[in-house]
Amino acid sequence: MTATAVFFRGLWKENPIFRLLLGLCPTLAVTTSVVNGLGMGLASTFVLLCSNTMISLLRGFIPRKVRIPAYIVVIASFVTIVDLVMHGFFFELHRSLGLFIPLIVVNCIILGRAEAFASRNPLRLSVLDGLGMGLGFTAGLAILGGVRELLGSGSLLGIPVLGADYPPALVMILPPGAFLTLGLLLAGMNKLEQRRAIRAGEAYAPPREMDCGNCVLCNLGENLRSE
Amino acid sequence: MKEPVNLALRLGLICAVAALALTQVDAFTREPIALAEARAQREAVAAVLPPFTELVADTLRPGEADQALYFTGMGPDGPVGTALVTASGLGYSGLIELMLGLDAEGNVNGVRVLRHAETPGLGANYAAPELLDRFYKGRPGGGEWKVTKDGGPVDAVTGATVTGRAICDAIDRGWDRWSRDRDRLGAPGKKETP
Repeated sequence: MTATAVFFRGLWKENPIFRLLLGLCPTLAVTTSVVNGLGMGLASTFVLLCSNTMISLLRGFIPRKVRIPAYIVVIASFVTIVDLVMHGFFFELHRSLGLFIPLIVVNCIILGRAEAFASRNPLRLSVLDGLGMGLGFTAGLAILGGVRELLGSGSLLGIPVLGADYPPALVMILPPGAFLTLGLLLAGMNKLEQRRAIRAGEAYAPPREMDCGNCVLCNLGENLRSE
Repeated sequence: MKEPVNLALRLGLICAVAALALTQVDAFTREPIALAEARAQREAVAAVLPPFTELVADTLRPGEADQALYFTGMGPDGPVGTALVTASGLGYSGLIELMLGLDAEGNVNGVRVLRHAETPGLGANYAAPELLDRFYKGRPGGGEWKVTKDGGPVDAVTGATVTGRAICDAIDRGWDRWSRDRDRLGAPGKKETP
């Protein structure tokens, strides 16, 4: 796979939120506004970039049998660093994202990319993969946050756009709004992909990675058995 | 026997390097974090007190469980108001911490939310300074803090009654403590002692 393809597939073809459906806890929980979505996305991107870099560099050093604890230590360290730095230098953002920063540790995109990509690819590709996946995640969070903020508070980026007459649809800010928005966006993405496939005269198939038989993450058990 | 040792050594080494890196980052960020916290506290104190020229910090019962920190704003003619940190556990999710400012007569002069984990976009809207000033400023302290649903005067955010109740509760607690402690403070409302 070429370097460009590695970078760009995280943005659309294998977008973590819309195509792989990974990291849905922060996706649903923090996207009540564009700013929260962007902040969470960029913090996760930074952690993903650092952990992909480190794990790619250490891929000859980390023994297979203890790789998951080793990845978790690496990821948790970077998350702690982000938490401390944000607390000291981006106080307001840190306060509004609060609990969700430490929870980046358990975001499965990060462990997923470590296991499925960074642990078996050279540094340059792993960096591109981390950036692409991270930015795809950020874009997804910002879009979701935008729709929910617009319908739920009548504003975008904190600026009122729908006017004072607009009655805010409170449900969009509440958890059900996250599920509704995500579901409709997913359906829309599938529709677009279907239409593209029809126009190209191909049979529509979900992304290869979404097919259980090909999912690297689900081979975890199999890998262990074969050892 | 050899393999487990190798595994443990390598994992141990990774942990040691991670721990070392974290101590460095901690040492580097400790001061900025303390400064940012202190600045946020100062800003909250300034926002909840009437204009003052000098701020006096008073710690009552230091070291005890009910230790209390009071910030008294001094004007040209003596104390103009007192600010204190107060909290309530009645929030929708966990503790809500407030900076409560009282004027010399014990009326609420201002409220700022220091820490909360309320629902973003709903209960969290209570943290907005404009809203807090509009609904809480200038009301007398003590007892009568209730949301509309409980027969009181305060109802700022539709659908977030629980958060509203918690804020009323925190204000009540803060006022109660201040009214118990006011005699021991540098003022305001300090009774003249011969």
